[in-house]
Amino acid sequence: MILDLIEAVSAVGEGSTVRVRLTDPGDADLARKWCHHSGNTLLELTDQHVVVRRGRVPDALDELPADRRPGARLWLYTNFDCNLACDYCCVRSSPRAPRRELGLDRIRQLCREAPAAGVGEILITGGEPFLLPDIAEIVDACAAAAPTTVLTNGMLLRGRRLELLHRMPRDRVRLQISLDSADPVAHDAHRGAGSWQRAVDGITAARAAGFVVRVAATVGAAETGQAAALAAYLDGIGVARDDQLIRPLARRGLSGDGVTVTVETLVPELTVTADGIYWHPVGADDDDQLVSREQLPLTEAVALVNERFRRHRLAEHGAAERFPCA
Amino acid sequence: MARPLIVGAVAYTPNVVPIWDGIRDYFADTDAEVDFVLFSNYGRQVEALVAGHVDIAWNTNLAWVRTVLQTGGECRALAMRDTDRTFASVLVTRAGTGFTGPLDLKGRRLALGSKDSTQATILPLHYLAKEGLSENDLTVLRLDRDLGKHGDTGRSELDAIRAVLDGDADAAAIGSTTWDAIGRGELMPGALEAFWRSPEFYHCNFTALSSLPRERTAPWVERLLAMDWDVPEHRRILELEGLRRWLPGDTAGYASLFEAVEEQGIRPTW
Repeated sequence: MILDLIEAVSAVGEGSTVRVRLTDPGDADLARKWCHHSGNTLLELTDQHVVVRRGRVPDALDELPADRRPGARLWLYTNFDCNLACDYCCVRSSPRAPRRELGLDRIRQLCREAPAAGVGEILITGGEPFLLPDIAEIVDACAAAAPTTVLTNGMLLRGRRLELLHRMPRDRVRLQISLDSADPVAHDAHRGAGSWQRAVDGITAARAAGFVVRVAATVGAAETGQAAALAAYLDGIGVARDDQLIRPLARRGLSGDGVTVTVETLVPELTVTADGIYWHPVGADDDDQLVSREQLPLTEAVALVNERFRRHRLAEHGAAERFPCA
Repeated sequence: MARPLIVGAVAYTPNVVPIWDGIRDYFADTDAEVDFVLFSNYGRQVEALVAGHVDIAWNTNLAWVRTVLQTGGECRALAMRDTDRTFASVLVTRAGTGFTGPLDLKGRRLALGSKDSTQATILPLHYLAKEGLSENDLTVLRLDRDLGKHGDTGRSELDAIRAVLDGDADAAAIGSTTWDAIGRGELMPGALEAFWRSPEFYHCNFTALSSLPRERTAPWVERLLAMDWDVPEHRRILELEGLRRWLPGDTAGYASLFEAVEEQGIRPTW
């Protein structure tokens, strides 16, 4: 069987895969040992066959820029409940969603472990984080560990909550406020009547308080033509182009439309909720993206995600080799 | 700027293309740029080198010997792999056969690789003769595969091993690299064992005719020898080509093959 493997692998170029039939009971173990010995990569092994890639697979993590490696960005879902009921919310947040709180103590523990886990940026999201009475303490803890972005709909930034915002450190914290369109009607159609104006008021208040505000739009296929108008509007109110973000609608949570996103197709961004560690914030309410029920220790969560990411990339490569497009 | 040096190589594996693309890229934008031409066999490559159609040929040991014979020695070995200096032939048999040396093969069946394979045919016969074992003392099973590629594909050696495992031969002569590739008997304990290893001999080298000016070859060799295992882009090429570092050309380790070619009446051309 080793001879068959050598002959098959020698006949193809680096990076190509071969499938060799196994006949004897000990062949599977032999194939595994030979791949290890020869520096070729075992992609698939059953009692009947082995699939081998010629040469080593480059580490999938090495192909990612440092700031996109798992753990570089740490997402914290602080609560899940929300004052809005957006019809496309990827994690099903709304005023009716029960609060599932990560909690200040656990957030502090995560922040203590963040540097060792390679966290370079923390992103706080809700539901709506400003519903939490201790949001200022949460943000303080995060900002002490890494530059922090708070995702908010901006509608609550007045009165007591605006005072909370004023207490946050401007040099380490920025806000990301959702505004889907330059057209209030289009925005309100998904997010509720009057929400556009209150979001714009929130942007104004946060900027007046001295915070960098990033504006993020969630855009479905039907609204892609509105992007230019939104950019022009944001230019007009002084939001820098680097702080304007257009995100495609994801087919997740409450949304029946949008881009299909799976663990296999998403570069992971470590996401912590009250329920565990998730692959990516866009799937933080879906079991298929659950990595672990244990949020801590964070370094173990990163290692787990790294290992799964490598495995997905390997399988993806093998599948691509074996089922090339017509 | 001078036109790039044209290097010839034989396409014995699909990996040859990424190897030579990588080498061409490595020399790009230097004072020693190269391009490459692939040949289907070493006969055509040596012919092209002698005719001046390529400047440098990545030659096997047999192709080197034939270049020397065809040019009356008017050629130079510019560089080689570290691994080219430690080749050997190995005799293997089924574990438990009880062979302890070449003389145990008297009256037995020996599977050889392709007739143009230095490691699997030409030098094993040469060294066996030195040990006092002529071809007439054996039943030789010749397994010619991929003729013209001088055994580079290794397929004839795999066939020779299969012949042993299938009971069609008592022993096989293979190259040390093939023995390493199948795990030197460690992966399949109880299946095969080596019972003799030849003295070491050289394998490939970059060959140029003496007429190619040294001012053209020197910068190229200098840059080639600067490839560094610790630089990831270099390492990828080095791994594909099977070496850790390039060495200056040396010809001492070809002496046994010159003797064998003469003894066995192997023609200087093909």
